[in-house]
Amino acid sequence: MTDLTTQERVSQRVPLWRDVVVLKWVTQVFLLIVVFGAMWFLANQAGDNLRARNINTEFDFLERPVDIQLSEGIDTLPNTGGRALWAAMVNTLRLSIAGIFFATLLGVVVGLARLSDNWLVRRLGSIWVETLRNIPLLVQMIFYFSVLTTLPRVGLGTGPINGWLHISNKGISMPRIFIADGFYQWLVVVLLGLVAAGLVRRYRQKIQDESGKNTSPILWAIGTVAAFALLGLFIHPAFSWLGGVFGGIADLIDSLPNAVPQIGFAALAVGSAGVWIQRFLSDHRSARGHLSLTDDDWFRIAFAAIASLAAVFVVVSWSGMSAWTLNSSRDLFEVLSDKFNVDGAARPFDAMRPDIIQKGKFPNYGKSGLTMSLGFASVFFAVVFYTSAFIGENVRGGILAVPKGQAEAAKAVGLGRGQILRHVVLPQAFRVILPPTGNQYLNLTKNTSLAIAVGMSDIVQVGTTVFNQTGMTLPVVAIWMLFYLSCSLTISVIVNWFNVRMKLVER
Amino acid sequence: MTELDSSNVSSTAAKGQPSAATPVSKTAPPVTPKLSTWEWVRENLFSSPFNCGLTVVTTVILLTIFRGLLAFIFNPVRQWNGVATNLRLMMTRAYPEEQYVRVWVCVAVILILTGLSMAIWHAGSALPVSEVGRKLLTTGTILVLFALLAPFSTTATMLWLLVALVVLGFAELLRRSAGGLEGQTISTLTLLVITLSGLVASLWVIPYGHHSYIPKRDPRVLAEPGTVALSTKLPWTLMLVIAVVAYFTGRALRDRLPTNATRFTLIALWLLAPPALLYLVLRDPAFDMGHVATTDLPIFAAYALGGTALLSWLTRPSTGELGRIVSAVVLLAGFCSFLTPMRMIVRIDMLALAIFALAAPTFSGGPRAQKRYVAGWIGLLGVMSWLITAINTPSTVSVPGGFFIGGMSITLMVAVFTLVISFPLGIALALARTSSMPIFRLLATWFIEFVRGIPLITILIFFSIMVPLFLPRGMHLGEVAAVIIGYVLFSSAYLAENVRGGLQSITRGQQEAADAVGMTTAQKTLFIVLPQALRVSIPPLVGHCIGVFKETSLLAIIGVFDILYIGRIVIPGQTEFMGSTKENVLFVSLIYWIFAYQMSKASQRLEQRTGLGER
Repeated sequence: MTDLTTQERVSQRVPLWRDVVVLKWVTQVFLLIVVFGAMWFLANQAGDNLRARNINTEFDFLERPVDIQLSEGIDTLPNTGGRALWAAMVNTLRLSIAGIFFATLLGVVVGLARLSDNWLVRRLGSIWVETLRNIPLLVQMIFYFSVLTTLPRVGLGTGPINGWLHISNKGISMPRIFIADGFYQWLVVVLLGLVAAGLVRRYRQKIQDESGKNTSPILWAIGTVAAFALLGLFIHPAFSWLGGVFGGIADLIDSLPNAVPQIGFAALAVGSAGVWIQRFLSDHRSARGHLSLTDDDWFRIAFAAIASLAAVFVVVSWSGMSAWTLNSSRDLFEVLSDKFNVDGAARPFDAMRPDIIQKGKFPNYGKSGLTMSLGFASVFFAVVFYTSAFIGENVRGGILAVPKGQAEAAKAVGLGRGQILRHVVLPQAFRVILPPTGNQYLNLTKNTSLAIAVGMSDIVQVGTTVFNQTGMTLPVVAIWMLFYLSCSLTISVIVNWFNVRMKLVER
Repeated sequence: MTELDSSNVSSTAAKGQPSAATPVSKTAPPVTPKLSTWEWVRENLFSSPFNCGLTVVTTVILLTIFRGLLAFIFNPVRQWNGVATNLRLMMTRAYPEEQYVRVWVCVAVILILTGLSMAIWHAGSALPVSEVGRKLLTTGTILVLFALLAPFSTTATMLWLLVALVVLGFAELLRRSAGGLEGQTISTLTLLVITLSGLVASLWVIPYGHHSYIPKRDPRVLAEPGTVALSTKLPWTLMLVIAVVAYFTGRALRDRLPTNATRFTLIALWLLAPPALLYLVLRDPAFDMGHVATTDLPIFAAYALGGTALLSWLTRPSTGELGRIVSAVVLLAGFCSFLTPMRMIVRIDMLALAIFALAAPTFSGGPRAQKRYVAGWIGLLGVMSWLITAINTPSTVSVPGGFFIGGMSITLMVAVFTLVISFPLGIALALARTSSMPIFRLLATWFIEFVRGIPLITILIFFSIMVPLFLPRGMHLGEVAAVIIGYVLFSSAYLAENVRGGLQSITRGQQEAADAVGMTTAQKTLFIVLPQALRVSIPPLVGHCIGVFKETSLLAIIGVFDILYIGRIVIPGQTEFMGSTKENVLFVSLIYWIFAYQMSKASQRLEQRTGLGER
């Protein structure tokens, strides 16, 4: 053995049980079998137990009536389980979007306060951060809730500004601006405005590049959109003919046979896999056309092929999916055509003041105002305050991460204080701030699920009520996970898009 | 959800100077010119008209907040009695009075370990006395504000002002006498002991009152004037003495024992302490000696002997492929054992032995290495068998309803167990995610991203409701155990991401060097990559620990009797303290804040000491 040359050692076949490639794949396949075996075992067990308890796991509870009252939202007394979950989803989204907006504002203020020249402001900032981020969110939420419940009772003369702003133990009520029938026509005008703004911006930019003068292209673009939006308030009925167009498209889709989307999806799956594999191969080909693939690469190719075949199999065997695609796109266009087939004089926006109505024994808020229930308010304040502490730290860290020399160099070139901040420090700081802040947005969205503790009807709370009434725990949990995963995915896609745009362009 | 925010700590990295630009040197830090008080005030508060305005506005805001808080706390409407009466409930729930000494034993063991560790790891640093004086000055100022702003009677205000003045005078004395930064110093540990002694002494002197809730009596609430009950102040005094004695014992032992072995033993004791305290001391299983002797001990002996023989053969460097095949067979046997009915402990032991057997070649070496490995196996097997036996034995502690402890202790228990179990799992997931094997990577990535995409509360609800559905008939799992499993899965996904960050910071050269000296992949990972990666990821890992601790509060939602649940539901449910939720929750948040704040401060000190935060 010892006097073999290297050449001979390489050429000698390694026995199967010592071949690294074989061992690697055997381990992986073994793990795969163990994982799937465990899942199969658990699923079987769950199926047995569910059958033994006479619980079925169909999704038809979504269409059956339930007895749920929501604390607030687009529908407080939904007819069906599906409608209840839908209204709850809207509540969660409202809470998350409002929370993200205000947490960002407050977080920036906190971050800047912690960098202030003023010792007291710095102190205030650090007290804010150190207090709020070291107390669990749920504890804060419950504390706010228990404080809010001791607010004065609602009455016909509730203040502080009767008729405009009411704060009471039923919540906070304020005037509401909402979209009215003419909104979608107006939206078309604004979309046109956006296109025009793009053109205007490009044009102004061209002049700036050629002449070297500051032509403020962004301001011009914003001005264009604003002008179109204003104009749209008056000319929006001009677009009511779009209703007919959408109706026609809906009819066309309705007449298509089921095979069309099936063929389309199958072609899409196979085609995209084919294109991907081809591109992958050409990327891995050296200049001389020599192809070298690791077993990892082989795995990717095989995986892409198998995934596309599986997709074709699913599309073909599950005809309900293509029927659903057809139906729902037809419904979408029908809804759109309904939105445009309105009275020409309809306004795009409307506003209403809050009012208090006496119904039976106790006065309560009516539906005309924008009312934040106590649960909503406590979740909202808790997530905004809590997240603002973390965002503040991100902002501070990001600004500190910009080397001092950058600002000094900008000063030496003769830029003013505002210009330094706007053109030199903030763009670089933003790059550092964005990824962790995106993470905080994700956290905020997931944190709204704690609303169940204060009785606000978000998707988790309503889901719990639904499965307590119907016994459909698994489907409800599946809906939760799907909902939160798609929220997470959406936020990370948006943040990544910004991230890529802000990235330092290197050689 | 409340997502385990590692930014809690990692952001502190930016807290120092932005040291990216400045070269790190070993010389003393630049001396900042010392400003006189007036210069400092002008520089920091009134440097420009805008700054003046800002100062005024902020002062008003700060004073308003402080005053509002005091008005809230000292409002005669507040029912702080609810907290004072139910302190024991908040800490341990309904742990039986006559067995309460067990709780104190647990506290004592933890304090002994803390004292020893502080000595062995050289905790504490020297602080200039003038600095202490400065801090006391701040405290005195806050006390003056407190006396003036709180809604007290005139005598109380005068009393508090007097206290504040004494503190201020003492502080000024310290500041003057010590003579600047280079003057006398004092150890932070001494300061800590002085503070704690003061607190304990106050239990004996200050009339806090003796409150307690006695369910079997009428009226059920006991409130006597005077100092607190002897059953509170005596144990705490004892605990302080024990901690100090433990520290000095550690100091005496420090120089006589080999450092590494002592540290290793202490870490092992820290890991052993939570299950031992919980299942042996607090739960006090009534072992059935006959069963132990006829079943548990023989199983243990069989595995210990068989394992010793197998492992000493496997750790011999001359054992070739046959060893691998044998360990694979053991693993297969472990999995197959689930197909036939037998005791669960036999299966678990078999799987553990298979893992040890598979890892054996990594630790192979001379007789010393062999002995160490076998000893590790027997030790782990012993702990495991004893724990499983203890868990399956009925307890002598009878607590009505639910788990046998509650309140703060269940919060700490869940946090510690979750962290300890999710740590190896998280490392495994991180390794799998960065592995070159595609299926491992895919499974780990899917798992991590899936778990990170959904809120913790949905996982907890799922596990607390659904776990019974997934279990074979006849197998039971307590609610707390089920919840901990869910929490572990959640925590390990986040932990894996933290560790992955550390793994990515290891340069390729390290691995190539390990390859060059002929290490196997396992050896490379265990001895080269992981130690460095874990060191880098200490700051986010501490942040993760704080996050896990804070999020144990979610247990209240699914009805576990943790401190928040007791403060929000149980105490307001007593007729005497209806409507006291605000006070209780404020107290709960104070407790959480103290723990989390201390942890984040400790991690900042750790970062500074190890130089981890610097770039």
